[in-house]
Amino acid sequence: MTIRIAQLSCGTEYSGVQYEIESAARSVGAKIVYPDVSYDQVKSALERFGFTPKSPQLQLMIARAVSLADGLYEADAVFITTCFRCAEAALVRNELRRFIQENTRLPVVTYSFTERLKASQLLTRMEALVTIVSRKELLARERQTGITAGLDSGSSTTKCVIMENNKIIGKAWTASGDVVQCATEVLEEAMKMAGIEFKQIEAMGTTGYGRFTLGTHFKAKLVQEELTVNSKGAVWLADRQRGEATIIDIGGMDNKAITVRDGVPDNFTMGGICAGASGRFLEMTARRLKVPIGELGSYAVKGNWVNAKMNSYCSVFGIQDLVTTLGAGKSFEDVAAAACHSVAEQVYEQQLQEVDVRHPIIQVGGTSLNKGLVKAIGEVLGEPPIVPPDSQYIGAVGGALLSSGVL
Amino acid sequence: MKIFIDPPNSMILFDLVERFGHEPLSSMALIQEKVDNIEVDMPPMNVTLDDVVKGLKYAGVEVPSGIRGRLAIWGPMIEAADAAIIIENPPFSFGCVGCDRSNELTKYRIKRRGIPALTVQYPSSEEEAKTMVGQIKDFLGGLKE
Amino acid sequence: MISPNSMVTPDQLVRVVQTMAPEINVKETCYGCLAESDAKTMAAVMKKVREQYGNEVFSKVRGYPVGDPRRCRAQHGTRPGFAQLEAEWETLPLIQSALDAIDAGDTAYVAPVEKKPLPVKDLKQISEAYR
Repeated sequence: MTIRIAQLSCGTEYSGVQYEIESAARSVGAKIVYPDVSYDQVKSALERFGFTPKSPQLQLMIARAVSLADGLYEADAVFITTCFRCAEAALVRNELRRFIQENTRLPVVTYSFTERLKASQLLTRMEALVTIVSRKELLARERQTGITAGLDSGSSTTKCVIMENNKIIGKAWTASGDVVQCATEVLEEAMKMAGIEFKQIEAMGTTGYGRFTLGTHFKAKLVQEELTVNSKGAVWLADRQRGEATIIDIGGMDNKAITVRDGVPDNFTMGGICAGASGRFLEMTARRLKVPIGELGSYAVKGNWVNAKMNSYCSVFGIQDLVTTLGAGKSFEDVAAAACHSVAEQVYEQQLQEVDVRHPIIQVGGTSLNKGLVKAIGEVLGEPPIVPPDSQYIGAVGGALLSSGVL
Repeated sequence: MKIFIDPPNSMILFDLVERFGHEPLSSMALIQEKVDNIEVDMPPMNVTLDDVVKGLKYAGVEVPSGIRGRLAIWGPMIEAADAAIIIENPPFSFGCVGCDRSNELTKYRIKRRGIPALTVQYPSSEEEAKTMVGQIKDFLGGLKE
Repeated sequence: MISPNSMVTPDQLVRVVQTMAPEINVKETCYGCLAESDAKTMAAVMKKVREQYGNEVFSKVRGYPVGDPRRCRAQHGTRPGFAQLEAEWETLPLIQSALDAIDAGDTAYVAPVEKKPLPVKDLKQISEAYR
């Protein structure tokens, strides 16, 4: 079955990115379609939607969304995308995303592009849309069975988890380097901890940026993007498999904010425009303060960010802020707190605006081990997030859990 | 003479200019060249990355890519035109004329170029249509090589 | 594209255009037809079409080849330009009648008048009348 992804967009063809969008869709077994609307439908759709942008292409986007909402056009998923830096388009993009979610059960993903579109980020989004549609039953799995392994090859760290009958029996992580080598290392360590041999592993699931390479190398039964895998891992670890939640994963290269309903993502945003809003910035801060990254959080919780303002949108300027603040004689604790607060604030401003934050908030990923960042997220959102045990292993847990469904 | 039409994909303007004996410059013809010349299964639609970068001549990097991509096509057309006809308030402007900012920038470039330009109102009655067609006929008839 | 006021059908148009040049590829559409050939042939064909159908048939150049899957409606659904063409098609009867009038020698037209906003003084007077 070819999954039909309805594209609601402005500017793709004149930014030279339409080809990339269509090939990303094709490579995950989907097809891009445009909901048919007539000229008259555009006029009535604008009246119904209540917002009339100046740009006619945005008007057409609205009409196409209304056509989907009214069930006049059939699609399996929706991809909303517009030019980066266009204010008018950003308004329409966000409101349409909300409109589609209020009026349909279709998974939606939004994306703002420049002409130098990031193919891998686009692919992850398309793959997630397709997974949500085509693997509904697999995603409904709530218990892990047999002996399975999950490998998460992220941009900063590589993680492995081995599970047996719904329990974690082995786990390990290392800093990412050579994809296969690092994965082999963590797999062996996890197997040692679990007291099992490779042949006892009945299925393996791989995720993260290195998923395809690892999938081929280890003949994994499941190779899946991190959005759906992490969601499953997060709700399993937090024991929130039913109902709604928002998962926040501040990663080394990109951040994810995923809203889930019964463990299945129905909307997500992936940031990746600025390192100032990522785990990488905290690493840089720790290095500059000459404290181990693992201790940055302990410093931060003792400090007060107000004393050392840092609010640059860019890691380079952020570090300049940091140098100035340290030079002004501020304490390490205050600076560490300010760095955490800055990341939390940017995640809130740049990403959480694009999803409707649902409760509870589950914070995961390696950065959730940083108590200072968790505190800062809680302050910014006005609610302390849940940080489940083994929160850095969500991807690996999700991989182990889901791969047991393809035994 | 070469006439830039705005909207550059308007069938009505294209037809009228040709009917009255001039050469309409249209975005379609330019896109045709691109589409036909790229020998791959599925060429990039309408513009390529290189075009969008060329568009920097007309708008800065802080301007959305879709605007630069459009101007990369229309900019050289405006530069090649001897005159221009603009429909002021088209009720339609989808596709390549879907971006209002690009459309404003296009009008501005025509003004900057200083070529003879006629602005007409899109008709909503027979009377207005007579005005529009009559103005276009007179304008084109009055152009001197 | 055939003006909605015309009695010509796409089917008739296709058959006629087909005979106008030896090397021409013609495809019927809901609104008229797509014709494909080299630029010189197309110019000659358009001249003949205008001679035969006067102000009932309109044309423009198309970016993509006939039946190109990248543009084909059956493949993806309509492309943005379709709504525009549809809107322009609805206006063709007005253009047709204006051209007919010119052909009949009636070249006079009313010059457009720019509407000016009501002077504030006048608006004030009107408002005060309601006091």
